[in-house]
Amino acid sequence: MRRPTFFLTSAPWGRCALALSGLLLLSGCQWMRLDGRQSAMAVEGPVARTQLSLFLVTCWVTLVIFIIVGSILAYATFKFKARTEADEHVEPPPQGHGNPFIEIGLIAASVFALAIIAFPTFKGISYTYDVPAAEKANAYTVTATGYQWWFKFEYPNEQIPGAGVVTTGNELVIPAGRPVHIDLRSVDVMHSFWVPKLAGKVDMIPARANLLWLEADHPGYYWGQCAEFCGESHAVMRFRVIALDAKDFADWLANQKQPARQVAIADSAAPKAQFASLRTFQQNEMGFTAGDQLDVAPLDAWRAKQFPEKDEDAALIAQGKALFAAKTCIVCHTIRGVASAVGVRGPDLTHVGARTTIAGGLLENNAEQLQRWIHNPSLVKPGNKMWVEGYLVNHISLTSDDEVALVAFLRSLK
Amino acid sequence: MADTVAKSDFLGREDHAAPKSLVLWRPEAKTGLISWLTTVDHKRIGFLYGIAALFFFLVGGVEALLIRLQLAVPNNHVLTATQYNEMFTMHATTMIFLAVMPLSAAFFNYIMPLQIGARDVAFPRLNAFSFWTFVAGAIVINLGWFLKSGAPDAGWFSYTPLSTRTYTPGHALDMWVMGIQLLGVASIAASLNFIITIINLRAPGMTMMRLPVFTWMTLVTAFLIVLAFPAITIALVELMMDRLFGTNFFEVSNGGMPILWTHLFWVFGHPEVYILILPGMGIISEILPTFSRKPLFGYPIVVFSGASIGFLGFGVWSHHMFTTGMGTMGTTAFAFTTMAIAVPTGVKIFNWIGTMWNGRLQMRTPMMFALGFIWLFMLGGFSGIMHSAAPADSQQHNSYFVVAHFHYVLIGGSLFALLAGIHYWFPLMFGRKINEFWGKLSFWVIFTGFNVTFFPMHFIGLNGMPRRTFTYDGNMGWNQGNLVATIGAFILGVGVAIYFGVMLYTYFKGERVGRDPWDARTLEWSLPNPPPEYNYAVIPQVEARDQWWYAKHHQAEVAKTDAAHAAAEAAHGGIHMPHQSIYPFFASCGILIGAIGIAIVDANPDPHVIVGTKLATTLVGALIMVVSVYLWSLEGNEGYHLHIEHEEGHS
Repeated sequence: MRRPTFFLTSAPWGRCALALSGLLLLSGCQWMRLDGRQSAMAVEGPVARTQLSLFLVTCWVTLVIFIIVGSILAYATFKFKARTEADEHVEPPPQGHGNPFIEIGLIAASVFALAIIAFPTFKGISYTYDVPAAEKANAYTVTATGYQWWFKFEYPNEQIPGAGVVTTGNELVIPAGRPVHIDLRSVDVMHSFWVPKLAGKVDMIPARANLLWLEADHPGYYWGQCAEFCGESHAVMRFRVIALDAKDFADWLANQKQPARQVAIADSAAPKAQFASLRTFQQNEMGFTAGDQLDVAPLDAWRAKQFPEKDEDAALIAQGKALFAAKTCIVCHTIRGVASAVGVRGPDLTHVGARTTIAGGLLENNAEQLQRWIHNPSLVKPGNKMWVEGYLVNHISLTSDDEVALVAFLRSLK
Repeated sequence: MADTVAKSDFLGREDHAAPKSLVLWRPEAKTGLISWLTTVDHKRIGFLYGIAALFFFLVGGVEALLIRLQLAVPNNHVLTATQYNEMFTMHATTMIFLAVMPLSAAFFNYIMPLQIGARDVAFPRLNAFSFWTFVAGAIVINLGWFLKSGAPDAGWFSYTPLSTRTYTPGHALDMWVMGIQLLGVASIAASLNFIITIINLRAPGMTMMRLPVFTWMTLVTAFLIVLAFPAITIALVELMMDRLFGTNFFEVSNGGMPILWTHLFWVFGHPEVYILILPGMGIISEILPTFSRKPLFGYPIVVFSGASIGFLGFGVWSHHMFTTGMGTMGTTAFAFTTMAIAVPTGVKIFNWIGTMWNGRLQMRTPMMFALGFIWLFMLGGFSGIMHSAAPADSQQHNSYFVVAHFHYVLIGGSLFALLAGIHYWFPLMFGRKINEFWGKLSFWVIFTGFNVTFFPMHFIGLNGMPRRTFTYDGNMGWNQGNLVATIGAFILGVGVAIYFGVMLYTYFKGERVGRDPWDARTLEWSLPNPPPEYNYAVIPQVEARDQWWYAKHHQAEVAKTDAAHAAAEAAHGGIHMPHQSIYPFFASCGILIGAIGIAIVDANPDPHVIVGTKLATTLVGALIMVVSVYLWSLEGNEGYHLHIEHEEGHS
């Protein structure tokens, strides 16, 4: 246990440890790259840009303070260190008690440094709160509502005669280059709406009318996620924002206002879809990894999704449509154009086939993942209502054939 | 007799046994289980707090490692979503309420009365009650691990309406609600005790501006606890009423207001942050002067800044709520108060550096931890300043950037200070000193592991990873940072294991040291180690701020006043000591049973049997508590007198 203590006075442990941590921290440095899908440092809109530039002000101010205070602390540590055993037992140094002028000077300097942060903070708070008055007329308005664990997006100015307003789930499509005012609502617990590249988060609180605004500089595909702990599956409550130029946006809206797409027998010549039988997915095994097609060129993937699948089988789709009612999906999901599919507890599925993701932005919208999702929702999103209050309560079980038919039907809903 | 005093393991000789009846039993055991259950000695209670806190620190550490294991790689499945949510809820609850706060309380109990030259705290039995009630609260909170309901999983903040019966129906949260209320009772009782002790039991000459800074910070912290805990208690009682009796404080469909909880929680929660860090700042303000061999630079400013942090701490709570849509005016106000609180905090750092300036720094283990504290707390402070810029905070809030920030101030700050304090006062408490080699090794491993764990989290957070998420996808740019953090967490774990190993070894076999091994400055070091049960054979006359340093340099005068005090005290019958008592322990047992009755016994399955059981358990607990408190007041507090024939001379 005991070692000679002189071994330590030169603190080789310190150097080893610092070197080791330095190596570990800098190895590859990939973790220091701030260009991720949800990076608040690689912003693509004016709101997030304001927040970032303020953050950088705070970084510079604190960095300067750190360099000054850190160097003085380091200097004091090395300069006044007792070097040897004997050094420790010399007469104690002068017993000074402080200097009020130094204190007052340092307090004044701190206040000055904070004032540098305070002014842009004040400006930033009012700018980021709501759409600036000058741009109000140009602003587009949507409503976002948080559910455990998905997002509903409504377009209050886009009426569909006799069927409310345009409603979508988990993928918010907005016009690029226009301020978007978003009203934030929640129907159950607290959630938080966060698309880091476009704007900082604002909470969705029950019985409280919150709002935020954001703007995308250019057409793009943005990752977002719930940022307030909201229960068991909080981690997998995700969504996307798709910004389109004016023409694409108008086309998209026009399509959204249509009822669900019908596939006539004549439309389809291709044979029945042959996808491999369901592989076993592990719990927590989620959808996306780097290099997926959706990951590399997401906006292109989204555009491709707007067109009918090539392997459609009208008979299978018809079978899936019948199952959608028979398996009580209609109780919670709306599909405009399908009789009695008017439920509002789950996402509106009228155009679900045209979305890039399913299950709350969690899985890619393809046949395999769709089947995985409806096969056992609790393995994808533990505790979700479709499982707890749908499958379990109504004793729903799906055969493999049922799943294939339902998947074909859902994919046809462009 | 001199021998007894010198080797005392908190023992002294009493001159007579008090009269007693069967019910009003006066326990006199000085060793064994009964002596610990009935002790009213502030040093023993401090020791018990320390043991409990270190145990829960290890529990919380294991929870943290499981969290890091789950997040090591994307889409991992070490834990399920629910297990992960339980882990982070219990990790925070454990570390805040069951590790850092009681470890601070251990120092308050053990060190503060010694520093002011007192023989015990003002209300010794209340002190014992505080400790046992704390244990009861800790048990109730953790019982969930052993029950089918599982541990609490709504987060340590338990935001409504997620924490209402509708969304979290299990008993786990009832246990959490009851447990935190018990901890509140324990903390408030203890704090009142400390406040009254510091105000009333200071040795003659110990003016407020001569109090050691640690004692000052004890006083400020105690006031913060007394003023902050009522807010969380109100919130918890409302939540309990909602959950158990169907009231509608937070039930939206019946007009309840969830945001009310958020405000009440942070009105408590932000002062709580200072409750966690101020004791640490006090400890650092003791260690730096000792090992720099200089008085604290700017004592009045350090004390005043501590107090102003306490005041301002009540005016910044909504900076935890910048994203709740407070509007521009509210957000601006809280952004500015948050910036303001950075000033007194920065001032402390300047004064610590001023203390080292021109000193003769002895790089012993406590000093290493203290220097580590300054560096890490400074970094945590900087990220704190970044959060005060509310628009920037709207990106960082609830991201891993915040996780990095508060671990820098809570581990790098509070925990490093507490670990420094353990090293610093260990020779006083146990008469043994930690080996410098192993002490410094543990420091460097902990320091390295800490930074490797938490520094990358700043970057993960800026890259958009939200906290409290049990899984993440592989395409977000978070993979490497998370892996590095997990490796760091295990390095940190190894460091903590070394630290504990060294502590245990030193406790049993470490190098014995004499009185005042650090050549320290404050009064507690004038005592033999370990200090006798009565602390001071002669109540000292305080002449200076660093009284022990003064005494070492004015030995003749101090001997004269000591002799005068000794004579005066002998004329009054000797050293007055409080009796031991079992009733604080019994009262806490009653509270524990009652809390279990309220929180855990299931009301659902069979109303006739179970509701009866629930009610009966609660009533039995309440009865035990009421009877214990009654007997406690009945047994009286006359105490007894000790006689010391000879006190070991100052070395």
